[in-house]
Amino acid sequence: MAAKILFIVLPYLSAGIFVLGGLYRFYVWGRTPVPLRIVTTPAPQTRVGVLWRLIGDALWFPNIFKGDKILWAAGFSFHILLWLLLLRHLRYFLYPIPGWVEDIQAMGLYAGYFIPVPLTILFARRLVSERVLYVSILGDFFSLFLLLAITISGVLLGVFFRTYLIDVKAMIQGLVHFRPQVPGVHWLFGLHFSLVMILLIYFPFSKLMHSGGLFLSPTRNQRANFQQPFVNPWDFPVAYNPMNLSAPEKYHQSLAGSKEEIRE
Amino acid sequence: MKVPVAIPGIKIGALQNQRCHPCKNKDMVKIDLPKEREQAWKEVMLKKMAEVLRKYRSLRLFMDICVKCGACADKCQFFLGSGDPKNMPVARADLFRKVYKRYFTLGGKIWGWANEAEDLTESVLQDWFTYFYQCSECRRCSVFCPYGIDTAEITMAAREVMAAAGIATKYVTEVVAKVYDTGNNLGIWAPAWKDNCSFLEEDLKDTEGLDIKFPVDAVNAEVLLVPPSADNFANTNTMIGYAKMFHAAGISWTTSTYCNEGGNFGLFLNYANMKKINNRILEAARALKVKRIYWGE
Repeated sequence: MAAKILFIVLPYLSAGIFVLGGLYRFYVWGRTPVPLRIVTTPAPQTRVGVLWRLIGDALWFPNIFKGDKILWAAGFSFHILLWLLLLRHLRYFLYPIPGWVEDIQAMGLYAGYFIPVPLTILFARRLVSERVLYVSILGDFFSLFLLLAITISGVLLGVFFRTYLIDVKAMIQGLVHFRPQVPGVHWLFGLHFSLVMILLIYFPFSKLMHSGGLFLSPTRNQRANFQQPFVNPWDFPVAYNPMNLSAPEKYHQSLAGSKEEIRE
Repeated sequence: MKVPVAIPGIKIGALQNQRCHPCKNKDMVKIDLPKEREQAWKEVMLKKMAEVLRKYRSLRLFMDICVKCGACADKCQFFLGSGDPKNMPVARADLFRKVYKRYFTLGGKIWGWANEAEDLTESVLQDWFTYFYQCSECRRCSVFCPYGIDTAEITMAAREVMAAAGIATKYVTEVVAKVYDTGNNLGIWAPAWKDNCSFLEEDLKDTEGLDIKFPVDAVNAEVLLVPPSADNFANTNTMIGYAKMFHAAGISWTTSTYCNEGGNFGLFLNYANMKKINNRILEAARALKVKRIYWGE
């Protein structure tokens, strides 16, 4: 029964929450207007330039590099290793396996060995740096802890508790093709798998949404086209308060009596 | 990166008593804000919070995606100068974020203790008033944030929310009210502005023997000059410089007694006042039928 819940109910539930929750977050951000041009300069002037800026931001974090080299080294290596690991896991979802997924298997394996290092640095940094400790909340430690537990259990599965991968692949293929089945696998795989499910459920409610939110950030995705007018969708006309001594009509009246006029 | 100032250790509450003077009734009635703090300030503020969260994607997004990496923590001059942890941009934003989580997110509603969500209480409001007015909106933090999170957007939203409930500082509200009476932040009335200009004309003739006009409210000039009002009052050499420059270039120009201020204190208060003050420049330009606006601060 527990196995059925873990391998049949939980995957669909968590995938559903992950997808719908994530889409809902994007919907809320997307429907909220951007009233002002607030791009952080120096900024690109073309749409293509903005695309490159966003790709750069997403891949090698230039802003962190400017300010904090240790954080950058840990954050950058973590994200690159995470990409490798995610792509490596595609082999369970795709059949037949594309050549490039097979090519990165070895790299992905090493990525798994090394990824606990930047994660530990990031975790330790939250405890050691008093500034970061001051702003850290439980959720910050929780996501790091979850990622550490997932990667360590994954490495253990690959090295010490060798799992019968045919079963794993059959199980995941069953999920993908809506013919779910309960595999006979080591309990550690059950742990690894359930932690991933918890991560998927937690993702849309947490700061982990930074992965997609970056692309909607107005300070990064706007252009520096200051010559063109920017339209504020909820703009409203201004009205003068009768208590204000200086109002447009009074100024017009005072000008009508004025003698000063420049003639060319 | 070379850091000219040593990064201080955190000193909790170092600046918690450095508070601005509260606003006065006489100014608030002139700038379309409640005379004094509303009785139901909490409800008014929460309603305004919902409104600004609906109006500004920047605010909503920045509330959601901050990962608390601490890259901005040592980039704020208010933190570098004081060591008060609530002056770290991320912690300043957290003052808003805690309340946002409590009232506007599912996680904060059902699992508040883990998310450090917080009710909007008197002491939270006190922190808001103290620390959201210890931000100069320079946006340095947004340069170092991997997502470009701009604390100035959050500060401005918090000030807008407080202003809606009649909570603001004397300095800002007084200056904004002055603009609606005299056209500038310093409160120079039209006759004084004209008088200062003719004084500068005489001064220029006496000292340098130059015959250069300082036109005021001249219709049909080429350029409307919107200087900082201090240029007419304290930094007069700058004002003389403008006049010489226009004279040498042969451009006809004028200042306006309706709008003779390049600085906009509405930025420190709320959107409506910011817009109203900027709008004065356009109104003056249309009334004087100028072709260009030169506007500096």
